[in-house]
Amino acid sequence: MGMLITVAWRNIWRSKTRTLVVVGATVVGIWALIFLLGFFQGQIGNYIHNVIQNETSHIQIHNPEFRKDFETKAFIPEAESKRMSLASDPLVSAVAPRVILSGMLASSNGAQGVRVRGIDSEMEQQVTGFHDKLTQGAMMDPSRKNQMIISERMASILKVKLRSKVVLTFQTADGHISNAAFRIAGLYRSNKKMNDELFVYAQIQDLRSLAEMPPHAAHELALVLHDFDGVEEAALRMKVDYPEEQVETYRELSPDLDVMKTQIKISMTLMTVIFMLALIFGIINTMLMSVLERTRELGMLMAVGMNKLKVFIMVCLETLMLSLIGSPIGMLLGFLTIKYLHYRGISLARWSTALEEFGMSDLVRPILPFQNYLWIALAVIITGFLASIYPSWKAIKLRPVDALRKI
Amino acid sequence: MHLEKFDMKNSVIEIRDLKKSYTETKVHVHALQGVDLIIEKGEFTAIVGPSGSGKTTLLNIIGGLDRPTHGNVKLNGQDIGLLSDNQLIDFRRDHIGFVFQSYNLIPVLTAKENVEFVMLLQKQTQADRDARTLELMTAVGLADRMHNRPNELSGGQQQRVAVARALAPKPAFILADEPTANLDSKSTADLLDLMATLNQEEGITFVFSTHDQRVIDRARRVITLEDGKIRSDEYRA
Ligand SMILES: Nc1ncnc2c1ncn2[C@@H]1O[C@H](COP(=O)(O)OP(=O)(O)OP(=O)(O)O)[C@@H](O)[C@H]1O
Ligand SMILES: [Mg+2]
Repeated sequence: MGMLITVAWRNIWRSKTRTLVVVGATVVGIWALIFLLGFFQGQIGNYIHNVIQNETSHIQIHNPEFRKDFETKAFIPEAESKRMSLASDPLVSAVAPRVILSGMLASSNGAQGVRVRGIDSEMEQQVTGFHDKLTQGAMMDPSRKNQMIISERMASILKVKLRSKVVLTFQTADGHISNAAFRIAGLYRSNKKMNDELFVYAQIQDLRSLAEMPPHAAHELALVLHDFDGVEEAALRMKVDYPEEQVETYRELSPDLDVMKTQIKISMTLMTVIFMLALIFGIINTMLMSVLERTRELGMLMAVGMNKLKVFIMVCLETLMLSLIGSPIGMLLGFLTIKYLHYRGISLARWSTALEEFGMSDLVRPILPFQNYLWIALAVIITGFLASIYPSWKAIKLRPVDALRKI
Repeated sequence: MHLEKFDMKNSVIEIRDLKKSYTETKVHVHALQGVDLIIEKGEFTAIVGPSGSGKTTLLNIIGGLDRPTHGNVKLNGQDIGLLSDNQLIDFRRDHIGFVFQSYNLIPVLTAKENVEFVMLLQKQTQADRDARTLELMTAVGLADRMHNRPNELSGGQQQRVAVARALAPKPAFILADEPTANLDSKSTADLLDLMATLNQEEGITFVFSTHDQRVIDRARRVITLEDGKIRSDEYRA
């Protein structure tokens, strides 16, 4: 066996250029594969981050009826005391209460169906960083009444600007239709177009009194935890603590995240398979050439008593070595690239208008979990084995008499 | 040296009514048409004849590289027609030495490693292999070229390494199909000297085919083939 390994290793370096081309292609291929996988992972991470940041937080608590029809009457009565006890939970980083009204927002130039989020500016800032999305004007001033922040998009739909007046028509807690005038205090922009066309913001105490809700009520408590990985566990405990309310994690609130994860997983697998197929054909082709060139030599080896098993093993070893030399280099390069780009981030600003529709921010940080490297290594080894079968088979099919006659 | 000792009584090759036809081609070729032949231990025999007369075909069948259409071949008393393909490979490894016209050596191995190769296949110990390799490389006059690769040796030197390689497993005889065809006259003479010495001093049996009159002149027995039959079989002084 030692001899076979020596011979195989030296054989693959007989045609240096050819071997280097295959090794180079493997290195580049694996590097590209790792980069793409890391990029996809980074994007899904980015998307999840955005969904959590802008929409779901880590956990939300509602009246169990609320998310069915978003009716004003489906509020959490003692929301304020629940908020306070949640805020003192050591796992919880911040809690924001919201009153949410569905309605119609009209200006003199148009009207649009909206969902108004009544927020406490300070608490909201801690949970969603809403302040940072403001592009014009200022946050609402608690000492003033009926201020509103809408998105730039909404402003252009309604053809309004800062300090314009808009009228909100909504349903009160006891089911009456009511309306109220608001003044635009600021404009914001998030990175999800769909949301910008739906959500507008007002102050929680204004909406609470307009909707005739009890003084400590809210529709939604949005929580962020200190530790992202502790979400499921914390949610389970809160479900026990607040059996009368509906406690949901970001995954339950946004089931499309799981769908998207599955999709990405399928794409990643497909890319890996396609890469391995290309590798397999490249290697088979190279090894067939190499076997063909050595017909007489292989004939001689078999003539002098090297049996088929040993010839088979020798060609297999050559194929495996050829497939495997490049992979550690490619994996290392890929790993370093991912590390660097993760630290630096890839700016997609050029495509960001398209990405906004999907709620992706324009800075992607590629990342690839360690187990993916293991999978790639395993896939390359399997590929090497598969690629080795045919050339080795070809080699042992040679008959020494025929091989030796070929001059 | 512990090579085989000369012993006239044993026949190492016994061939009876050997026929070989190639029928895969459109025109069937009857390359051997009834060859009977006995080769004794210690012979130094040339097989000659015009191109296409069947020399290579005969040597291949004797060497167990090809199977006859008819007749049988006994080597050292073993009817090789009874061996399976795998058994035949091991039989070749242990009992037959081959020297081909070219492509005798593995280009990526040194002369020493080439000579060692078959012994490795036989799973001989490192010490045995080292001793034997040195002995053989000395015998073929290339002890100082042990660590050169084939492409660093002349054609004549390569053929001598091939002879050493063929001798390594102590085979019953050595078959050489036109071993000097690619050599100049000096190298041809040197190789013939080496083979003759090994034959006379160590009793190694050689059977070789050739077109070269100078090689034919060195043989002690000359078997002439024509159209797949033995036309003449002469012993020389
Ligand atoms: N694989 C084959 N298929 C068909 N015919 C073959 C095959 N091998 C050899 N022959 C034919 O068998 C005959 C004998 O060939 P062989 O090679 O034994 O002759 P040779 O005496 O060695 O000739 P040379 O001196 O040219 O080497 C020739 O007519 C040759 O064409
Ligand atoms: Mg011939």
